[in-house]
Amino acid sequence: MHELGIATFLLEAVVEQARQVGAHRVLAINLVVGERAGVVDDALQFSFDLLAPSTLAEGARINTRRTPMRFHCAGCDSDYRPREGDFRCPDCGTFGQLADDGSALVIESIEVET
Amino acid sequence: MSQQIKIVKNLLAGNDQVAERNRARFVAAGVLAINLIAAPGAGKTSLIVKTLATLRGRARVGVIEGDIAGSIDTEKVLAAGASDAVQINTGGNCHLEAGMVQQALDDFELDQLDIVFIENVGNLVCPTHWALGEQIRLCLPSAAEGHDKPIKYPEVFAVSDVIVLNKIDLIELVDFERDAFYPAARALNPAAPIFEVSCRTGDGILDFGLPGQGAG
Repeated sequence: MHELGIATFLLEAVVEQARQVGAHRVLAINLVVGERAGVVDDALQFSFDLLAPSTLAEGARINTRRTPMRFHCAGCDSDYRPREGDFRCPDCGTFGQLADDGSALVIESIEVET
Repeated sequence: MSQQIKIVKNLLAGNDQVAERNRARFVAAGVLAINLIAAPGAGKTSLIVKTLATLRGRARVGVIEGDIAGSIDTEKVLAAGASDAVQINTGGNCHLEAGMVQQALDDFELDQLDIVFIENVGNLVCPTHWALGEQIRLCLPSAAEGHDKPIKYPEVFAVSDVIVLNKIDLIELVDFERDAFYPAARALNPAAPIFEVSCRTGDGILDFGLPGQGAG
């Protein structure tokens, strides 16, 4: 349950950004979250809603876009998404190398009312 | 009027900034800091205790113990020869954050130390995002947890600098298959050295604790 810690930093960053542009209110926050980051959307929104009251971001909706885990197969010279519980290349059966930003935790944009 | 503002910023940039300051303090004091991440019961404290024994008289070791509650581990590492130890009780938080380590560092005389082990809260998911200022991130799976840990917890393997597989004395008892563990771990992280140890029997500890001087 690291969402509370993540929400704390998210709120701080978003409010600072909103203040810089002179916004009255933050309506939405758009995140990019890697598949491996282990972030649960509902838990993040829940944590955020606990912290946000009486800030510019009170009531803001969090939208997340997932980036999938990908591997690169040197033999096939192609990227693939692993199947459930198996990191091998689906075409040739060898193990590829991790090739992604699956751990991303990025604030892409915010929607504000000015 | 509503308006979209592009940001594209690491969500945990606030934590990373504090981590950088911690790192600068470690570097200035000539201290090697190691962030130890593992599941509860994998042997984090045992690895520190065993390593302390091999480093006795060679290096002054400080330990930052992250736990949800209690100070049992701090007492253990001090009894085992740690020069100094600080307990951080996270009060339910599942990971350490750079700010917690920053506070703990105020209780240390870093100049009097060579190595600092930061024992994270027992958890294989949450600590992976939080840089603490360490130079080395060490992940400690154990054979007893099963060979599927890289598949189930890929992130911690992907972001670690060193992987130490503990409880190898139990490998046959718990049907741990190296042929399943190693290829998956290597797919996630081709570079990190992987040490096999048993903190119970002491096997492999010399190789881990004193690279280049061990039995192998």
